[in-house]
Amino acid sequence: MIEAVCVGAVAGGTSILFPTLGELITERSGVINLGTEGSMLCGALAAYIIGIETGSPWLGVVAGLVAGAGLAAVHAFLVLHRGANQIATGLVVTFLGLGLTALFGQDYVGQGVVALEPVAIPGLASLPFVGPVLFDHDPLTYLSLLAVPALWWVLVGTRAGLQLRAAGERPEVLRTFGTSPRAVRYAAVIGGGGLSGLGGAQLATAFTRNWSEGMTVGRGFVAVGLVIFAAWDPRKALVGAYLFSGAIALQLQLQAQGSDISRYLLAALPYLVVIISLASLSRRRLHAAPEALNHVFEHAS
Amino acid sequence: MSTHTAPDAVVDETSAGEPDVAPTTHHAPVPPPADGSPHDDRWRAAARATVRWTASIGAAVIIFAAFLTTQGADPVEALTAMWNAAFGDARSTGDTLLRATPLLLAALAVAVPARAGMFNIGGEGQLVMGAVGAMAMSTALDGAVSGPLVFALLALGGAAGGALWALIPAILKVALRTNEAIVSLLLNYVATIVLTWLVFEPWKDPLSTGQAYSTELPDAERLPILWANRVHIGIVVAVLAALAVWVAFRSTRWGFRLQVLGGNPEAARRAGLRVGSLAIGAMVLGGALAGLAGMLEVSGVEGRLRPGIMVGFGYIGFLASWLARHHPLKAVLASLVLAAIAVGGNGLKISAGVSGAAVNVLMALVLLAVLGWARPNKRVGAP
Repeated sequence: MIEAVCVGAVAGGTSILFPTLGELITERSGVINLGTEGSMLCGALAAYIIGIETGSPWLGVVAGLVAGAGLAAVHAFLVLHRGANQIATGLVVTFLGLGLTALFGQDYVGQGVVALEPVAIPGLASLPFVGPVLFDHDPLTYLSLLAVPALWWVLVGTRAGLQLRAAGERPEVLRTFGTSPRAVRYAAVIGGGGLSGLGGAQLATAFTRNWSEGMTVGRGFVAVGLVIFAAWDPRKALVGAYLFSGAIALQLQLQAQGSDISRYLLAALPYLVVIISLASLSRRRLHAAPEALNHVFEHAS
Repeated sequence: MSTHTAPDAVVDETSAGEPDVAPTTHHAPVPPPADGSPHDDRWRAAARATVRWTASIGAAVIIFAAFLTTQGADPVEALTAMWNAAFGDARSTGDTLLRATPLLLAALAVAVPARAGMFNIGGEGQLVMGAVGAMAMSTALDGAVSGPLVFALLALGGAAGGALWALIPAILKVALRTNEAIVSLLLNYVATIVLTWLVFEPWKDPLSTGQAYSTELPDAERLPILWANRVHIGIVVAVLAALAVWVAFRSTRWGFRLQVLGGNPEAARRAGLRVGSLAIGAMVLGGALAGLAGMLEVSGVEGRLRPGIMVGFGYIGFLASWLARHHPLKAVLASLVLAAIAVGGNGLKISAGVSGAAVNVLMALVLLAVLGWARPNKRVGAP
């Protein structure tokens, strides 16, 4: 039971970890993007369609990345070039993603998926407990696990990371040193959208293995909440993502065992977990917010 | 406050409300200058705005038509079918008005908190909880009351349901500084699950098989129909609500305080305004308006609860409020436009075989055009 929940948490957590990391990069640059939900949907559908049309799941993954990044580029352009409101634009971008995927996905509902198959890591996968939980997954899950320390290292240890943080904290300093904060933000928003697209691709081709309209059911929005939960730290983002997917996995397990606990309460649990953890942490976590984001968070408090 | 030497225009734009309106204009209109001709200026500005709007919406329609073409649909035929589905005859016009009713109230549910500088993205959940509140009231009354009073009680139940749901993000915001946009957004999913639970378990109609739905409201609790066999009195209620919000914004002390709060919370605090209760009040009133919309849907259209009732209304209301830049009277027009697009989706599905959800593309394109282009680019000294 515990093992099954943990396996489910890791397998299901990938599609929430990628958009959380993507949104984390975006917000570190000083931009908030509620279009993550739309980017995930576009990534999911693009991976699904390209997988079927070419027969290669990996081309699908690339397509998912590109589709997610493309939708985020719309957000970046409106917010960074046209000065549009970030929250409203993000939500509209999600609407655009919903509509586009409904339009282009209608012929693919119920078609067989070209799945991204799990790859057991020789030796490690046969370890008790740890093996199935960590070493018997699809490649994107391994990639997401590697992405966490990699992103942390980029943020604290590289010049690119410094520029990213400066864009979110002290854009005028960045400008003084001859780097355009807007260019950094463009890169962050589009790159973040690409990661959301990867999350969608994993969801459609490796985890649920199907396509349906609006299949992400709020995962992209949850990711935005998890970034605050994680205090803009990739390592804590990992914890948050697995907490959310663990709640889903627990629900499925309890349901399968015919538990007495209401399945409706269990279905609401993942969202409640995020809301409650946001509420209990927000006072402390807000100090960690990138300076340029404070405007969004400190309204009428 | 920020110590930036060059305040960042991008970030300043993240505030809700209308940053370009000076806080005093509503209370004490600036007298026209003696020599100039302010009316000419106003006309010119209005003409320019109209041109911008027309161009934005035109561009959105053209891009949408291009997308339809990729799906093998004849764009002219498809757009004509959409128009006919939305305004073709009395019945379809009625459908559009019927849809505009909850959208307008959901838009007001965004506009009131936005004036205080808050984002309410929870309209969807508040609508659902309004419907639940109305149904709970009906169950509690058990047919004991009839006549106009019963509608007032149902509306009260609906408004209370929506208000309570909006109270959660509002209190978390004020007490713990939790982000109200994200909490209200996530609560939409919880509300949907609550509705599903009610419909599948305690309130399930014993006669329902397969598709679950709740028991039906008694005839005495169904709203009177005004026109085209379908349009109920709710449209009048919604327009009156828009007028009331408009008057409250323009000429009450409360409306002015909200605007001060939305403009600069720190200044509002120093001016001695009770910032916390003002913020909670704005959010809760928004929730109540959305809840009222939920009640109107149950009592005027559906007659019962079912899963998937009112899907998307809250989000489209959010778009309508932004389309109207949170102006309560412009929101009437904005809701009508978006309602027409939404209803037009039915025509699209029948004539072109394109998924009805594809109209989300058109709505999003209109909004993107308006958010990005339909007002002067006032950013100076971009990074």
